[in-house]
Amino acid sequence: MSYKGTREAFAAALMELCEKDKKYQIISADSVKAARIVELVEKYPECYVEVGIAEQCAVDVAAGLATVGKVPFVATYCGFITMRACEQVRTFVAYPGLNVKFVGFNAGMLGGEREGVTHQFYEDIGILRSIPDITIVCPSDDTQTYQATKAIANVNGPCYMRIGNNREPRVFTEDVPEFELGKIRILNDYGNDVAIFTYGFLTDRAIKAAEILKKIGIGVTLVEVHTIRPLDVMGISVVLRKCGKAITYEDHNINGALGSAVSEIIAEGCPAKLIRIGLNEFPGSGTPDDLMKRYNMDTDDIVKAARALCEKK
Amino acid sequence: MNRNIQELIKIARELRFDVVDMVYKSKDGHPGPALSIGDLVTALYFSEMNIDSKNPKKPGRDRFILSKGHACPIIYAALAKLNYFSNDLLPTLRTCDSILQGHPCMKKTVGIDMTSGSLGNGVAIGTGMEIARQRDNGSWYTYVITGDGELNEGVIWEGALAAVRNKCENLIVFIDFNNNQSGGHTDQISGINPIADKWRAFRWHVQEIDGHDYEQIFAAIDAAKKEKGKPSVIVCKTIKGKGVSYMEDNNAWHKGVPTTEQWEIAKKELLGGNM
Repeated sequence: MSYKGTREAFAAALMELCEKDKKYQIISADSVKAARIVELVEKYPECYVEVGIAEQCAVDVAAGLATVGKVPFVATYCGFITMRACEQVRTFVAYPGLNVKFVGFNAGMLGGEREGVTHQFYEDIGILRSIPDITIVCPSDDTQTYQATKAIANVNGPCYMRIGNNREPRVFTEDVPEFELGKIRILNDYGNDVAIFTYGFLTDRAIKAAEILKKIGIGVTLVEVHTIRPLDVMGISVVLRKCGKAITYEDHNINGALGSAVSEIIAEGCPAKLIRIGLNEFPGSGTPDDLMKRYNMDTDDIVKAARALCEKK
Repeated sequence: MNRNIQELIKIARELRFDVVDMVYKSKDGHPGPALSIGDLVTALYFSEMNIDSKNPKKPGRDRFILSKGHACPIIYAALAKLNYFSNDLLPTLRTCDSILQGHPCMKKTVGIDMTSGSLGNGVAIGTGMEIARQRDNGSWYTYVITGDGELNEGVIWEGALAAVRNKCENLIVFIDFNNNQSGGHTDQISGINPIADKWRAFRWHVQEIDGHDYEQIFAAIDAAKKEKGKPSVIVCKTIKGKGVSYMEDNNAWHKGVPTTEQWEIAKKELLGGNM
């Protein structure tokens, strides 16, 4: 199956879950339209809870539902979950280990693109990585979002899935690879010159970069890290040892997310040279292509980083 | 349902002493806020709530959230008296590896339905519990106790809206209106008064009572249960530190540890005096 984008894929998976079991609940902070669940709400009103534009309340309500055995999904913009309602996520869901799922839209600079900083979220993973016990998944396209939604529904505990604005490029066009929670996925193994670790809605750019690098004689092992927690430390370590040079490439602040996680693995016993590509400032509004160029996060920037690591001018 | 008021008054005195005793022995805690809600907690745990220490996770039980989580010593005392755990654990309050955390923790303490302590969240969490009850066609109630200072928190009012939006008729919220918050009188700190009018404006079923008068407490609960289609709030006029002369309406006891002499005075006033 394919969907128009990640939000529709999430909605389709949730629809199937609700069809099977009414324990699944969708908590809306006036986010029904944004979550593409208008049809779900009409079909299964007994699975829908509306609280209005009140994200802290949405998380609290979800926590209350979970204590009685429901499996609530709180779906709204990434930052409103992880920043505005951060304390509720930490204290009333993660700390008691309640079975609540968070689905954040507009992940990264690309997620918010022309909306600008208020609706672009590149801090969410860093924030959640500092809170114990939350599973964190970052699918790369619609098909994977569908699989990831089902995967987090099967986890008995708090989970966060970051998705986009429903306009993401399709990454996996043919056979959709199985989404195995907590495991890295090698997308290309063109050689041991440099490893590229990536996830999310710029994975297509990383794939292009790997192809370009292959043509100029730099063999890339391209790794998709769609689960940030539990992190596949073993899998990442194997690739780091094999390549000795690595790039992390993510639509997130370079501090706190994959760039930091890989740095930690390197520092704790897996020496490698590393270049982190990501944000380190507040960007702004723009089209995806313009933003990627302006903030040095485009395909060319990966190529440049790989050349620098391999000392190829 | 035990509505023998003389008996409940005696239980409340014993619980209040347990609060002073555990704070004295563990050398930390919030006695004033705990004593303030002593009668509400006694009415709920020893009369009103359908709960069972032998089956603490019974699905159809009533739920309780102490939104003002710092008052937890009184809940710990009630749970111990009801045999959820041994009375011997009370002095371990706030110590490393104790099941009795500084603020309630549902994972560590049997009988606690919801983790709490960060102020403002009980109404919204209770709303979630009550929606779950509706969806399961249960007949149980969710009780929440909030502070008055706690009403400063915005999420209280988010929850107040959501509870009405979702017709949370089995949600009953008590406000411990002792007119004190951490930094002083509520009038000086936050201007939250008049409290009842605000809840009326949010379209809750609102009652105002003396939170130390059992007849009024039970009458208000009965009336709240009769009200259909909307949540109920009971604004309870209380005295912070109630029952211990030197703590009453004295905000110095928001948090504090009694000396041995003060502990002896409290013991005499709560257990040794006339009923």
